[in-house]
Amino acid sequence: MTHEELRELTGSYALGALTRDERRSVEAHLAECDACSAEVRALMPVADALGRIVPQQDPPAALKRRVLDSVYGAGQRLPSVYDRPVAAKRMGAWPAWLAAAAAAVAAVALGVYVQVLQDRIVRLEEGLRQAEARAASTGTALVAARETANEAQMRVAILSAPDVARVDLTGQTPAPRASARAYWSRSRGLMFTASDLPPLPAGKVYQLWVVTAEAPVSAGLLRPDPGGRASLTVETPQDLATPVAMAVTIEPAGGVPAPTGEKYLIGTPTH
Amino acid sequence: MWNRAVIDDQTFDREAVVRMSAGDPEGLSRLYDRHARAVYSLALRIVEDRAEAEDIVQDVFSQAWFQARRYDHERAPVAGWLLMMARSRAIDRLRSRRVRPDNAAAFDDHQFDAVVDPAPRQDLEAISAEQAGRVRNALEALPPEKRRAIELAYYEGLTHTEIAERLGEPLGTVKTRIRLGMLRLREALGQA
Repeated sequence: MTHEELRELTGSYALGALTRDERRSVEAHLAECDACSAEVRALMPVADALGRIVPQQDPPAALKRRVLDSVYGAGQRLPSVYDRPVAAKRMGAWPAWLAAAAAAVAAVALGVYVQVLQDRIVRLEEGLRQAEARAASTGTALVAARETANEAQMRVAILSAPDVARVDLTGQTPAPRASARAYWSRSRGLMFTASDLPPLPAGKVYQLWVVTAEAPVSAGLLRPDPGGRASLTVETPQDLATPVAMAVTIEPAGGVPAPTGEKYLIGTPTH
Repeated sequence: MWNRAVIDDQTFDREAVVRMSAGDPEGLSRLYDRHARAVYSLALRIVEDRAEAEDIVQDVFSQAWFQARRYDHERAPVAGWLLMMARSRAIDRLRSRRVRPDNAAAFDDHQFDAVVDPAPRQDLEAISAEQAGRVRNALEALPPEKRRAIELAYYEGLTHTEIAERLGEPLGTVKTRIRLGMLRLREALGQA
């Protein structure tokens, strides 16, 4: 199409009244024609206005509840983070639409999880205020409550970071049933949750490693609860090289500067 | 020229979206209170069915909730973003009504390409209620054939080819009418 022909379409483009092929032709032209591009920019607010000048009517009052429930409905099942992650190698064999559907479900679950954390923060803050009011003698409990609240805050920040990356870790030979998931954001930190870790022998501890191209960096020590769960939320140094993998090893109590023990969990980032 | 009220409203909206992106339902609640009426009204104008318009409101706000993190306020004010989603959803529904089950099988990819794609990827500036009001008056003052063409495009999601068929007019005439009509409305809108 010529410039004159494409110029005739600026109004229809702003109105969204073009077929997909026409729209693509117009967009290709806009990229190189300042005059048409300026005309489209000028016409966009007109389309916006057309959306606002229709007769205004109030939606039914009950609709708000329905909308709010649909996104963070009461009684929804809890966090995807605690779920056994799907082994990464299986994803490749899935039909694309199924993988897309799974990703959508994960996104919804993540939204719900953020909500769960948010609720928890509210409850923790409330508990904290009560504790503060009661007594200064419960100093230790107070510090613990503050730490838990801070951790929940940090988890929300990590999950909502624009640069968040996910790492699914799978159990290795010593712990085939174990699994874990980590969310990492350079700007906001690392959050890690493992399940089905075998109980630790005396004098041992699990250690989480962020493996960069340079070297494994310790992210902290993990002691699973009796149910085999362990979690950790830490700030990560801003200058940390991008992780290429994460791993959990078993080490002498107190931890070590570089991994020496057997690997229990390993995973690489997915995007 | 932006007046103070426009800026304040936008700041309020942006804060609501930031809250939503952090998973705070209060953000969604605020956004709903401010924009549900406009979203519902536009959806109702397009689909002309209350139950469907309510479904669209739910779809739009849940999409806003899950896409809050990706929302870019430099590309469109929040109200424009919500209305754009509302129109797309509403027109999708109109379109699926037009595709009756008995000819759905014939609705292949090639034909799908000939269907209107109601989502221009352009930045959108903020407009005030007063500017929108001027556009309403100017639309009413347009010659009927220009006004009809613009309404069929925006509120019924027809392509200009379909509009030409509907009105029994040559395609070239329809294209020109839409463009000149839109330019006239732009004049009425005035400087943003």
